[in-house]
Amino acid sequence: MSSDIKSVLKQLDEKELYEIAKLKKINIPKNWSKTLIVELLALNVSTKDVQAIGTKPLVKRIKSNAVSAIIVKDLVKQFEDVTAVDRLSLEIKQGELFSLLGPNGAGKTTTINILSGILKPTKGTAIIAGFDVTKNLEEIKTVIGVCPQEAAVFKFLNARENIELFGNLHGIPKKTLEERTDTFLELLGLAEASKRMAKGYSGGMLRKLNLIMALINDPKIAFLDEPTVGMDPRARRKTWEFIGSLKDQNKTIILTTHYIEEAEALSDRVGIIDYGKLIELGTPQELMEKYETKNLEQVFLKITGRRILEGM
Amino acid sequence: MELKKLIRQPANLFLNLLFPAVLTIVFIFAFADPELGMSLNSVVPGLIVYAVIFVIMTIAQSFSTERQEGLLKRLNTTPMTSGEFMGSQIITHMLISFLQVIVVFTLAFLLGFRPDSGIQGIFLALPVTAIFSLSSVGLGLITATVSKTPEAATGISFVFILPQMFFGTFLPITSTTQQIAKFIPSYYLLDALKMIFEGDWVNTNIFLDLGVISIVSILVVIIGILLFEKYGSV
Repeated sequence: MSSDIKSVLKQLDEKELYEIAKLKKINIPKNWSKTLIVELLALNVSTKDVQAIGTKPLVKRIKSNAVSAIIVKDLVKQFEDVTAVDRLSLEIKQGELFSLLGPNGAGKTTTINILSGILKPTKGTAIIAGFDVTKNLEEIKTVIGVCPQEAAVFKFLNARENIELFGNLHGIPKKTLEERTDTFLELLGLAEASKRMAKGYSGGMLRKLNLIMALINDPKIAFLDEPTVGMDPRARRKTWEFIGSLKDQNKTIILTTHYIEEAEALSDRVGIIDYGKLIELGTPQELMEKYETKNLEQVFLKITGRRILEGM
Repeated sequence: MELKKLIRQPANLFLNLLFPAVLTIVFIFAFADPELGMSLNSVVPGLIVYAVIFVIMTIAQSFSTERQEGLLKRLNTTPMTSGEFMGSQIITHMLISFLQVIVVFTLAFLLGFRPDSGIQGIFLALPVTAIFSLSSVGLGLITATVSKTPEAATGISFVFILPQMFFGTFLPITSTTQQIAKFIPSYYLLDALKMIFEGDWVNTNIFLDLGVISIVSILVVIIGILLFEKYGSV
């Protein structure tokens, strides 16, 4: 279905593409190729937009499904003399679970921080759900959910209060918020402890709460930065199932993790990053075939280990 | 929710409500003695100022803790604007100042404090103190900006608390130190509160005090917000 949209948009000339962009109030960065413009517009094209510019014969073929939820092009983040992200380019499709793997300090969290608007890129472009991170941050914040690496919860509020605080910040109606809070607390096994202050929670419970707070706004795109770190194996498995279920809701998930088996089990595609550069990209199966290994962990060790040796 | 967060923390509860209460009782019993040259009416305004300047420490600790725990970064990923965030913080801490003043007044009243101005004086003192509390919020934000940890924030906050305590509460000042005190915002609140409790509202000096309190408080809070947003929020 998504390739339909792209092929339809490809048939339009640049003038028509710019007219659609104008209608949807999308800023197209300068010097973008027609291919990139098509990708960007495919995120927000609807029948109405196409009708408005008089391309009726194409209407029936247009679907509103997005193609790429995230488009990153030549992204750079420099901290004084350290290049944390180095000309990173990638595309993540709507509904895809994409894992970003890499050793400590590889640039995973910095990338997530840029894509979620916490940090400004030094150079390059990142488009999130059709919005530019350097220009449309307010819009981006309405469609994303961020689960940070540290369990960033208010320790003197209970789980329910923490979740409701973030739900209120997203403007979720009270009844919906209550229902959603109950469902998430139940799904992740926090219902019983939901009225206890978070300062008494175990590391695993804090992680679960951290995750719920990131998803309470029903985001189109979720950034999960090491969401299961510190959980016991049982809780981790339960959380994996929960994260996996988000794919069925057509959510785009960007996951960073040090549990390679987590990435292998959950991901549609995996990107391996080191020294801020994307050094490998593909489905777990493709990577295992390419490096002739039995699992993704061996792929990871082969690639990052080789780079460590090369750097010596 | 902001208020709930603060009140539930034992350290904050102590610093914001119990400490002013204990201080009120101790100081009234220890110093409010005409033989020592200090009447109850001259001690109470100082106690109010004392309570409000401690908001500097509370807000500095609160912001630096939330920053250290990644909460500010997380809040930054929600649609809440920085104006809304700062607004909620300012209102919360003004409310805390308000509660502090009520605690001090209630205890002082029970211990015999009867301002010449009557109940109107107390009602007038509340908004004046609330305006001054803006400067404490601003100084708290400046402290949080330059402090890397909550522990450092506690120490650094005394840079702003001590001068205000020495020159603008109930500690006696000489004619020399009064010249220094004129550069300290709390001196003007103390002066205004004394006049308010004496029922001396027509005194033109009160308008000078109110003008200084308002201008300084608004300036300090604006500087605090700008500095914190630029250098201290992540």
